[in-house]
Amino acid sequence: MKNIAVILLFFALSCPFSTRAQDISQLTAQCAANAGDVMYLKDFIVKLDAGTPGGAPPTARFALLLSKSVVYRLSICTAPNSEGEAVLQLFDMNTLLGSTFITATGKEFPFFDFKCQKTGVYHVFISFKEGKAGEGVGVLSYVKKL
Amino acid sequence: MIKKLLYVLLTALVITSCKSGGDRSTQTDFEVPDSILSEGMEISEETMQNIVQNISSPVEMAALIKELGVPYSSKYLSSTARVEELSTAFKQSLNLGIYGADLGYLNMYNKTSAVIDYISAIKTLADEIKVGQFFDFTTLKRLATNNQNLDSLMYISVHSFNQMDKYLHSNNRSNLSALIVTGVWIEGLYLGTQVAKETSNDLLSERIGEQKLTLNELILILEVYKKDKQYAKLIDDLQLIKDQYQNVNIKTIKGEPEMIEENGVLTIIQNDKSMVEISPEQINKIISTTEEVRNRLISL
Repeated sequence: MKNIAVILLFFALSCPFSTRAQDISQLTAQCAANAGDVMYLKDFIVKLDAGTPGGAPPTARFALLLSKSVVYRLSICTAPNSEGEAVLQLFDMNTLLGSTFITATGKEFPFFDFKCQKTGVYHVFISFKEGKAGEGVGVLSYVKKL
Repeated sequence: MIKKLLYVLLTALVITSCKSGGDRSTQTDFEVPDSILSEGMEISEETMQNIVQNISSPVEMAALIKELGVPYSSKYLSSTARVEELSTAFKQSLNLGIYGADLGYLNMYNKTSAVIDYISAIKTLADEIKVGQFFDFTTLKRLATNNQNLDSLMYISVHSFNQMDKYLHSNNRSNLSALIVTGVWIEGLYLGTQVAKETSNDLLSERIGEQKLTLNELILILEVYKKDKQYAKLIDDLQLIKDQYQNVNIKTIKGEPEMIEENGVLTIIQNDKSMVEISPEQINKIISTTEEVRNRLISL
């Protein structure tokens, strides 16, 4: 909790951004803090319009390099004013490795851990449930070496 | 009650203080030399940003070194004494990346007294290339001086670098971002190889071998700016390291991922496995070439 306070104070005092960017920076800080006792590495900021009815939901894609023998945590946070709820998925080429929303069970997770065994380029996909418009942030954190 | 009041006050401060900050994303007070503008670029800005994202974080190598139980050593770090002598945007950006990787190493070992020197050097260089607004020196210094909230110190340091990188890309200054990323990468490799020189470890050798992937991507980015002599020279230097990686092989064994849920935490276990084939001779050559190139870069 103390960490969140310090991070919030940092953004309040430094303030090199617009109000919207400031909101997103706060959301990123909050999302990184919510990931628990892990080390923040990167964030993926997303703002998407609603999809067309019957069409695939709009999706933001980010490439990232992950290293073998490391446990990573991938977290997702939806902005308070967002219409849709953000979902983060991790892909290796065309293979879905993990998701914060399990379609088969309807279960949601604020984050999932990925035990990486292969160094290489992966892709994070972020979309909003039912193709709604939305704003959110994904965070990649370092948990530990395997 | 006091805690709640503190959060309300902080939130109010966040909201009010930002109104005067303005949107600096349109700031144009930094001239990009014509000689290195993206004329004739062979890869798009989006592709370039994706490549940069692919380069692993400066703190990952430091985290691995620490988790291997290797003690801290200040001899691995680049001295901040010459920071005022770095007179061009090229040198400033490259060294900004080098100090960024050193800062990650220092933060990892909680060496807060030395951190202040590095934050100060980073702030000086960042101001020179007009991205100093992303480094709140006062907050960072206070966190380091008080030796408290070290997680926040790490978060703010890494986040500031990420913000700076995004800003440079969105302001058509990817040439400087490429240099910062190169600096971060070379210093990370230097830290890893210096430790490997003294402590033989399979995981560390493998991590050094895997840098072959990143190095190829870095050279790809820098080639966009090779019209500039300084960039061309930097590519030549990196090519020396690349030559040592020529016979390093990275193989993959296929497997199906597994998903488990334990205590409410979802974990994905990857069963694909990558394996690096790298000999002690190859490691030794990479160590010496990296040392030679990195030491040349910090003495530019």
